[in-house]
Amino acid sequence: MAFWFWYGLRNGIRSTRYPAAPESSAGISPGRPLDTLFADPLEAARAAANCPASAITAVDSLARVDFKKCVFCQRCHFGTRDELHWDASFEWTQRHSSERGYEPLPRDFAHSLHIIVVDAGDCGACLNEVKQLNNPLYNMHRLGFFFTATPRAADVLLVVGPVSENMRGPLIKTYEAMPDPKRVLSVGTCAITGGVFGQTFTSAGGVGSVLPVDLEVPGDPPPPLSILHGLLVVTGRKQPMDAQHSPVNEVSK
Amino acid sequence: MSAWVGAALTLFFICCATGLTLSALVSNRMAAFIIAWQGTLCSVFLMLAAAARLIGGHDFDVALWMLNGWGSLSLHVDALSAVFLFTTGLVYLSCSFFVPDYLIHYFRERYPIRRYGVLYFALMAAVVIVLVAGDALTFLIAWECMSILCYLLVNYEQTQQSDTSAGYIMLAMSEGGFLAVVIAFLILGSKSPGFSFVSLREAAGSLSTLASWGVFVLGFAGFGVKAGLVPVNFWLPRCYTASPPAFVPVLAGVTLNLGLYGIVRLNGDLSPGGGIGPGLVVLIVGSISAIVGILYATTENDMKTMLAHSSIENAGIVVAGLGAFLIFRNSGSAVPAAIALTAALYHMVNHSVYKALLYQGAGHIEATTGTRDMDRLGGLIRIAPALSAVFLVGCLAIAGFPPFNGFVSEWLILQTLLRSALLPSALVKVVFALCGAILALTAALAVTCFVKTYAMSFLGIRRGVWTVNTVLPARRSRLSLTILAVSCFLLGILPTYVIPVLDRAVEPLAGVSVTTSLVPPFFTATKENQQLPPAFLQDFHNLGAQTGARALPGRGLVILLRGSEENPVVFAMSPSYSFIALVLLVMGTWIVVRRWTRARSLAKRELWAGGIPRLLPEMSYTATGFSNPVRVIFQAVFRPNVVEDTRETVGVHFRTAIRHRRNETHLVDRIFFHPAGDAVSWIARSLATMHHGKLNAYVGYFLGFLVLILFLYRLG
Amino acid sequence: MITTPTTPPERPDVLSLEANIEARFKTAVSISQNKNQEVLIALERPSALGALCKFLFWEAGCSFAGLVVEEQQEEWQLIYLFLLPGKHWVHVSLLIPLEDPTVPSISAHVHAADWYEREAEDLFGLHFEQHPRLGDFVLHDQVWQEGLAPMRRAFDLRQPRLERQPNQAWRPTLVVKDPGAFAMPVGPVYEGGLGESVHFLLETVGEDVIRASPRLFYKYRAVEKLAEGKTISDGELLAERFAAKSAFAHSLAYCQAVERAASLDIPIRARRLRVALSELERLRHHAGAIEGICQSTALNVSEAQAAIVEEQLLRASCSFSGHRYLFGLNTPGGLRRDFDVDICRRLLSAVDRASGELRRLEDRLRYTSSFLDRLEDVGSIDAVAARDLDLAGPVGRASGLPNDLRREYPYSGYGEYSFDVASEKEGDGYARLRVLFFEVRQSAALIHQALESLPPGETRTAIEHVPAGTTMGWVEAPIGSAFHWLRINEAGLIGRYRIMTASFRNWLGIHAAVENFAFQDFPIILATFGLSVTECDR
Repeated sequence: MAFWFWYGLRNGIRSTRYPAAPESSAGISPGRPLDTLFADPLEAARAAANCPASAITAVDSLARVDFKKCVFCQRCHFGTRDELHWDASFEWTQRHSSERGYEPLPRDFAHSLHIIVVDAGDCGACLNEVKQLNNPLYNMHRLGFFFTATPRAADVLLVVGPVSENMRGPLIKTYEAMPDPKRVLSVGTCAITGGVFGQTFTSAGGVGSVLPVDLEVPGDPPPPLSILHGLLVVTGRKQPMDAQHSPVNEVSK
Repeated sequence: MSAWVGAALTLFFICCATGLTLSALVSNRMAAFIIAWQGTLCSVFLMLAAAARLIGGHDFDVALWMLNGWGSLSLHVDALSAVFLFTTGLVYLSCSFFVPDYLIHYFRERYPIRRYGVLYFALMAAVVIVLVAGDALTFLIAWECMSILCYLLVNYEQTQQSDTSAGYIMLAMSEGGFLAVVIAFLILGSKSPGFSFVSLREAAGSLSTLASWGVFVLGFAGFGVKAGLVPVNFWLPRCYTASPPAFVPVLAGVTLNLGLYGIVRLNGDLSPGGGIGPGLVVLIVGSISAIVGILYATTENDMKTMLAHSSIENAGIVVAGLGAFLIFRNSGSAVPAAIALTAALYHMVNHSVYKALLYQGAGHIEATTGTRDMDRLGGLIRIAPALSAVFLVGCLAIAGFPPFNGFVSEWLILQTLLRSALLPSALVKVVFALCGAILALTAALAVTCFVKTYAMSFLGIRRGVWTVNTVLPARRSRLSLTILAVSCFLLGILPTYVIPVLDRAVEPLAGVSVTTSLVPPFFTATKENQQLPPAFLQDFHNLGAQTGARALPGRGLVILLRGSEENPVVFAMSPSYSFIALVLLVMGTWIVVRRWTRARSLAKRELWAGGIPRLLPEMSYTATGFSNPVRVIFQAVFRPNVVEDTRETVGVHFRTAIRHRRNETHLVDRIFFHPAGDAVSWIARSLATMHHGKLNAYVGYFLGFLVLILFLYRLG
Repeated sequence: MITTPTTPPERPDVLSLEANIEARFKTAVSISQNKNQEVLIALERPSALGALCKFLFWEAGCSFAGLVVEEQQEEWQLIYLFLLPGKHWVHVSLLIPLEDPTVPSISAHVHAADWYEREAEDLFGLHFEQHPRLGDFVLHDQVWQEGLAPMRRAFDLRQPRLERQPNQAWRPTLVVKDPGAFAMPVGPVYEGGLGESVHFLLETVGEDVIRASPRLFYKYRAVEKLAEGKTISDGELLAERFAAKSAFAHSLAYCQAVERAASLDIPIRARRLRVALSELERLRHHAGAIEGICQSTALNVSEAQAAIVEEQLLRASCSFSGHRYLFGLNTPGGLRRDFDVDICRRLLSAVDRASGELRRLEDRLRYTSSFLDRLEDVGSIDAVAARDLDLAGPVGRASGLPNDLRREYPYSGYGEYSFDVASEKEGDGYARLRVLFFEVRQSAALIHQALESLPPGETRTAIEHVPAGTTMGWVEAPIGSAFHWLRINEAGLIGRYRIMTASFRNWLGIHAAVENFAFQDFPIILATFGLSVTECDR
């Protein structure tokens, strides 16, 4: 057993220093498509038609991206002549509705947050990204975030998946079992708009139609740092992204 | 003072007789009324008689009438009898409210309550006569009457109960025990002019060793039947389970004590015997009864059977204490002997009280839900909160939790078993240590057993399908449960007042008084001229003797044992102080929490079960599941035979059912009775080979026998 | 390195199989072959179905790939797919009139078909005679009303939600009939939600768990129904995203199905890159599975180190392909993008680091006896039970079944590579762990072989038109063999999309094969099986 102790020590501290310092290692995030100004409306329309999730709308020559619908098929990233600009960000958390402001949890929770995760039918990628928050490279414990096994001890309900019909009841029960104050964080495009599954007889098309959602983290899947950003926004340690569109970029071909 | 005893006793008998005749004459409904009020009166007079003897201190004698050639039939109330009388009175007092309500509501005119009343009062009288008998003849006659009356009451519901054989077995065993006891008394009386206890006591010294061992063995076995000791107790679980719930509290709280009384009287008082052999036997038998009883209680799901096994356990503890008493006394250590006897008597009193409480509670549960199976109960705390409160008191008491009474007596018995350093021989010390370990194990198992009982019956969700019978205990029966619960509590927090009372019974038998050793006058030590050495007073002081010196009366509330010069205080314990400290702690915590935390809203939400729609009864822990670890750990004792181990499938792979049934034979049956039965059968079979029907052989037998007789005649 | 392609599968075995079947079942069947050399057996008499399937599974040694049910204009068509190892596909086709949807059940003969029939009953409304237990499978009785049959054509996918109260009278079907037995419920939200949503009833009499019954399909999202009427390009998304931890593998199967229908040969560069990406995904998946096993036994340091490896592979995947889970790469005809030499070299060094770290972990775990104690003889499935239930993937290989589609029925050029197929005999948790480590080593070697011999050229062939008809693609996904069956209609849209995954088969294995274990071993057994709920539920 002593071996494992030294083995762990020898491998050193690998945790990212985010949010204290910006994180920019390779591969931490796939990035996201940005609004792009094309040369003429035809190209913009082609770009919009290229998107299988209808996340891009063409307004004159501007191709607007509704990131909440983007499923990361990357068809606008390469392999086509109408490529959009992509950035390398990961801080994507937004409020659920732009009319209603977001009130973070009281200050006592800022460094001691307990999270219960409910898998409401997700494909496995979002859940895996959530699980990565526990590994030494992200180590969310240093920020005071913990996963709990029971909703009775939880402050935040983190939902992944489009809420399949069979999971609707358990999800509502989990929410009702949580004591106040509580917040709901939906993670992943499926949990926001239903993703590729949409709204069907067996998929609610997002958590918003089942529970009162406070914050959303779009992405398919959002990388762990995005989810971490989401948790920081829940506690008020960071601000949510403006739901308005991202800055416009010229197409530089 | 003895006049008071005599008066109270006379009043008691008059009330009994009145009750008996009235019950025979009036209607059923009135008979219940008679049982309640006349029974109360009888119990009160009984308790008064006992109290008068214990406080007054003078024996009461009366000779009833003279029989030619046999001696006189007399009654003699001494302190030992008074202790048992008081217990009997207390149990009967509580039963007198419980029994009539039960009979009225739950029997519904199916059986004549009048007959019950007659038997009830007759049994009460018989029990009292057994306890106050002054000579062997009265004792034995009353004993026999008591056995028969018990049988009649056990089989009261004879058309309904599934197991009428239980009563027959009890009767047969009682008769066998009675026979043994008779022979014991005959042996004891062989050297004495009459049969009165006084002359028997004097003659006991002149018995030979063999005769005194014979008296001991026969008496112990005979009384052990009633007391419920291994191996003669196999009738007890069956019988207690089959008895009507109205009668079982009396069975467990009164008649079991008669066996213990007999053991104390015969082996402790009349025929003490020399050497420590008998004491060792008593100690070992007691310890084994205790462990076997509690093991089977823990794995039993039927509540009445479980309580019966628990009675075996408690009787075993009492008997173990008696064994320690005998060993210490015959080794010359009088003070430990007295402590052991005190502890044993204390435990006997405690057991009667809390067992009667538990049995009454079980009767109410059965009447409310229709089932006794703990696998199917659950959630009763919401339906019957008052019943659950008193049942909790009973469970805590029997499990040995302070501040209730079980704690005090079990603690004292374990402490006496730790005093083996005073004994001469190494073998005895080892036996003491082992028995102490066994009793400690039974205490732990008792906790398991009663946690299971309470939790599975009252807490959780309803596991079985039963409708609530809305006829819940009427107010009068609540009174009976309350009396017992309050007694449990008082006996627990006021041991220092109980021990001097028991001391009156202990002193004649052990030879010394235990009061000054065990409950020295805590607060008046410095004031009066007690012969207490300065070192002892110093330890007293360290224990906080001055605290409350002005506030609390006389004896104080601490049990402690005085030792020698080097070790003035051997052990000390105060359930009263612990209770006060506990109350203060709880109140203090509550106040602190309420003051220092902000006002919080309390939300009541549904149970969290992982998101499933509803927690179904199939999904909650059962009593079998709770006690399964015990069954697995002690598998060598239980030795289940696998009767059925099938895995049913459909189409080879689709499992539809797994059945795994086991059959268990009781340890005692396995070790004693089945081999004994097999041996008897074997002998019978061997003898049967002689009976093959050939006339020639029979003639040959005659011839052989004749030759043998002639030969022996020749020799002699 | 790459060896010369192996010789094509021998024909005589197929001929003998056909001859056997014909001799035995005579007029009940009619046998033919299609252009892909698949044996098509059309059943004239439904009553011969059971005997035929039994013959194919047990005597001919086929494995049962799945059951495809299609509602056509006038009848139901049921296709039972059997795979003769290394040789050929056998399709047994049965037509049932629409009004009388009664089919004889084959679950008594081919036990692996048990759940396929239950699924068809729930989703299509078919009735399988003599099946031991139908109902309450995909559509939980507490949530859905009876008789819904959502996979039927008349059922509208987008219809509004039907409000229904939970069925108060629902009771679980318990198997242990001892008095005092009870069933501990676990889930669907358990382990803090970090486990996927699945419900278990652990039946016990207090000590050991005698039987564990899983209840799946809490995550049922009707992917197969969603695909109907979609374009092939939109179908790619569904193929990728119903089980994202094997996204590349499933999208590969889908694309191969379309390429097969179009009789397309994709460029060698694309084939090699596909192999490299498949193995990268397998490597990352197995790192996650090893982390899960270490976590279940609470060996925290090795769990953390394995988690670091998984995260590093995710980052390497993202640097290489633009997405951590390799989304958006496969397309019918090849890959959507190309990768230059530098990127490939960086990927190779990342793979080497990862596989080296895992090898070090394996070396030390083998000497940690407290860890091995918890894995050995836990959740054992012997070879007979494994064959009986037709277990797939690392679970099957740990129990002595040497099945691997990459070896037996090579796709994407796997026949050219040299690698070994893991095989262990004990079938316990430690055997499954050893299989995972073995496959990690093989995957690293395969990535090297693929990337070090990349020929220049295109990575994509354009597909103009996909002809109508049925087609099938298969892949050895990290959890096991997966089969995607497609029917493309005249308009070039998807008419029926059927996904048959290894998790679906292996969950039945847990249900049937794991009995009598200690309660504390339950999470360990689940972790060593490493099954995916979402892959099963779709």
